[in-house]
Order: sequence, then C-alpha cells, then structure tokens
Amino acid sequence: MIYWEKELEVLSRKELEKIQVERLRKTLSQAARSPYYGELFRKLHITPEKIDRVEQIRELPFTTKQDLRDHYPYGFLTLPKRDIIRLHSSSGTTGNPTVIFHNRHDICSWANLMARSLFCAGVRDTDVFQNIVGYGLFTGGLGFQYGIERLGALSIPAGAGNSQRQIKLMRDYGTTVIHAIPSYLGRLYEVFQAEGLDPQRDTELRLLVIGAEPHTEEQRRRIEEMFGVKAFNSFGLSEMNGPGVAFECEYQSGLHIWEDAYVVEIVDPKTLQPVADGEYGELVMTTLDREGMPLVRYRTRDITRILPGDCPCGRTHRRIDRITGRSDDMFIIKGCNVYPMQIEGVLLKIPEVGADYLITLDTLNGSDEMIVEVEVKRDWFNGDVARLDKLTRQITNQIRDEVLTKPIVRLVEPGSIPKSEGKAVRVRDLRAALKAGNYPA
Amino acid sequence: MAYQVSIFLENKIGRLERVTSVLKENRINIQNMSLIHTANGWGILNLLVSCPERACTKLCEAGMSASLRKIVALEMQDVPGGLDGLLTKIASAGVNFTNAYGRVVEPGQKAFFFIDADQIEDINEKLQAVGLTPLNDDLIYGV
Repeated sequence: MIYWEKELEVLSRKELEKIQVERLRKTLSQAARSPYYGELFRKLHITPEKIDRVEQIRELPFTTKQDLRDHYPYGFLTLPKRDIIRLHSSSGTTGNPTVIFHNRHDICSWANLMARSLFCAGVRDTDVFQNIVGYGLFTGGLGFQYGIERLGALSIPAGAGNSQRQIKLMRDYGTTVIHAIPSYLGRLYEVFQAEGLDPQRDTELRLLVIGAEPHTEEQRRRIEEMFGVKAFNSFGLSEMNGPGVAFECEYQSGLHIWEDAYVVEIVDPKTLQPVADGEYGELVMTTLDREGMPLVRYRTRDITRILPGDCPCGRTHRRIDRITGRSDDMFIIKGCNVYPMQIEGVLLKIPEVGADYLITLDTLNGSDEMIVEVEVKRDWFNGDVARLDKLTRQITNQIRDEVLTKPIVRLVEPGSIPKSEGKAVRVRDLRAALKAGNYPA
Repeated sequence: MAYQVSIFLENKIGRLERVTSVLKENRINIQNMSLIHTANGWGILNLLVSCPERACTKLCEAGMSASLRKIVALEMQDVPGGLDGLLTKIASAGVNFTNAYGRVVEPGQKAFFFIDADQIEDINEKLQAVGLTPLNDDLIYGV
C-alpha cells in the first residue's frame, strides 16, 4: 500500500472539488467569527452559503502578512483562548511577529497531513526517524514530531546542531530516516568523513527528507550521492501550519499539495490575476481544515508553478514545482526567514556604522552564508584595531540574536557599498541554488 | 605632541594606491609607514608624514576613513643591541604598545623609534621617569 489515506489521495478531481467547496463554506463561516474577517466579510457582503464552485474563491479578498501583523495577536482568532492549545510564531522582533493558533482539531489535522506526507515519501512505522531541526516556535520541529508519531515510526527529536552527537544517535539507534535542511547535510557529511566514517557503510539510513531552504536539483542529487539514498522535498510555511503542506512522492517530480486541506492558486504577483498551469506566479493558499485560525487567500510570496499533467503515483492532488524565489524581499538562509529590514533595524541602533549595508548570500565551501557588509563611519574611526574587532563581534551577535542565524560581518570603507539610483541595493544572492532559478525576476 | 595618520583599508587590490595618489596630488611626503593586516578582510595603514593634519583632511575629503593618532619618538643608537637596550628601558617604564616602527637617521650612528601612543596615558612622564626623552615634534617630522 503506498497511500496513507487512499480514499482522499486518489479522489477524482470532481469529488475533490466537492470536498473543497463544502470545506470552503465551513472555513468562511468559521473565519467570520474572528474580529478581522468578521468585519471584513460584513463590509464586503460575503456570504459563504452562496459558494458552490471553487473558482468563486477569486471573488474573496486576499490576506497578507501585513494583515496578520496589523491584527496581532488575536485579531484572526475564531475561538476563545480556552479552546486553543498551541501557538507557533515567527521571531519578528522588527514589527509584530506572525503568530498562528491551533485548537486540538488543528493539531490533529496537521499531524495527519504530516503523516500522509511522510508516508507519501516512503516512510513507514518500522522506521527510526531522526528529526535534525530546531524545536520550539519553529514549526519544523514539532510539526515533524507529531507527524512521525502519528505515522508510528520511532522518533528521535534530536534538534539542530552538534554533528558528532547526531552521528552517535544515528549509529546507536539505527536511524533509517533523517530530516534536515539541505545545507546542513553537506556539513554532516564532512563530519562523517572527519570521523573516518561513511554514512553508506556505517549507518542504516534509507531515505532523507529535506526542506525549509531553497536548493537546486543538482544540490539534491549531490546530497543523494553523499548519503547513497533518495532525498525527498518537503514544503510548508507556518501560516499554513508548517511542514506537511506539500511533499514529494516516490517519483520526485514536484510536490503534491494537499488539496483537501488547502485551496491552491497561482497568481501574477503584479496583477493578482490567476496564471495558467505551468506558468510561474505567487502561491496563494486558503486553509480548508483549520478551526482556530483559518486564513483566506493568504499571499505566501513564494514563487512557484503548478506542474501540469498526472503523476504516475496515482495521487490526484496537483503538484507544485520547487520554490524558485519570492515576490517580496524576504530570503531564507540556513532555514531562517530573514527580511533585510531586520538587519537594517539592528544596524541603525549601532552608531559606529553608516546607514548603508549590503547583504550577500553566497555558498562558501559548500555551505550557504549570509555576509553583511557595513561601512565604518569616518568620524568614529580612530585607527584602533581592537575597537574595530569589538565592533565586528557586536554587530555579528546582535544580528544573530535578531534573525537566529550567525552572519559573517565585514567592515568596509565608507562609500564602497554600491548604490543604485539613490536607493541602496540591499541583498545580492549568489547562492548556487538560485543560479538555477528560472523565474524571471 | 606629534601625530601619525591612520587609515582604514579593505584588503583589496588598489586600495593602498588610492592613499598614495591623494598624497602625491597634495605633494605630501611619506617618512615612515606600517601596515597592519587582520583576518577580517581589512587592515590599517599608519603613515608618518610632515603635515599629518593636512594629510588626514585630504584623505577624508577623498572619501576614506582616516584619523590622527598620537605618537612618541625616541632616539637610539643604530648598532647591534641598540633596540634591545631601548626596549628594556621602555619595559621598565611599564609602557605596553601595539604598534611601532623604526627609521635610520644616520647609518651606524642614530635611529628613531616611533610608538603609537594613542591609548597610552602619561607616556611622556613614564618614559622620562626611566631617563628616556621623547623627541620634540620638529625632529619627528624631519626636515
């Protein structure tokens, strides 16, 4: 059996759309109980009962990250806090964080989608699953944890980092599946080599799950060669629960996006009009099975496309391509979502550096790094090496505290950061992953 | 008090030349220099010139981060063991420095030793207490 829930995974499109319509009506009624949607729907005279085709979703308003921030923390909540059992939130110390609330039903539904996703990639209850990502507010930890448990595999909630300990866990408990961000797996492999070990000979690994970071097909193939097993792509975002939104099946050609749980649209980020299947655009999603905090037409800002055609695996849920970019200025480095504004916020509080900065994302020795160049202010500079070293450390630590990943900070001469048309260029992305990006920016 | 000019430089081709071209345009002569490199992609160039204030202003005007730093110069004999004798006295004065350079004035006879004194309090008094006499500014900036 290759399906977790055959009755849902191979439904005809017609049956699937019937479920979507039913759930969309239910979702809209539930959403109307939140202060935000309640007021908006009244104002726009939106009546869920009138919906009898999925396409009618196009008449509904979009929801943006800014809407979530503006109505922080409880503006989207549909239930009393008594019924809510968990929240996940972005770090967002610049402006309000994005917070998502779940009731018991939501957590169960998410765990089931996650289990379905893992099963789809080939994970079974006989597996030993080591989850090598951060736990806590980040959804990759608990999201996978609940999915692994729901599926019934033996979970090792290892958390991120400490490669030597990861290798010991893998060897002691006979780990067969690991989940990690792709850039970490390169580092883990190096530690295997440094210890005189070969993951293909010295572990029982049989498959990898990778996600939360942009990467190319070539990088995936390289990881598969290192570990000698297949690596499956995972896609998710905290606003849509987290991981378990879309996942690759055994054919590794696109990620099945679970359409009984989400309405999926791809729109032109400028005109906001739908684009044809196969064309790139911004992914817009509506939750269909979330009670605590439903979201309607949420603009994910992720650029992808629907892959036309059927998948040989038999699943009828359509496939999206890997994410090729963003329609805003957010970027992802080492699994952390970073907005240039966050870096700017830190730098503006440090009087020794100028207002100009340049973020370069680059692949150095196989690992993706964020390099932040800042100009040393002329009137602060006094020729003291120790003082400049201290400044470098201060900036490094403050940025790390803000975005949760350590940057490489480089001090540069005033005026050396390139400007374009009066406004500084803030981010350059030279990473190997994006060189293959085929979405015209 | 005498000064040297310190300039923040990125470790990139042509950056030193930017400095020397400004000095050339303004007909400023370099008498001595030291270059400090760090592992962080930048370094500091220290220059001893006859008119440090003017040099500093011109370099800043050209867009560079330059600043003036106090220096102290001591005379020593240009013979084997000359610097050793001088350093023994400086150590006994309790003076710790991180940047210095020397210059021969009369070969086989006389040399000057320059210490970056920007962060060292009461350096003149400390040196005088062990019998060392810092040179006056005219001698430092030379002829």
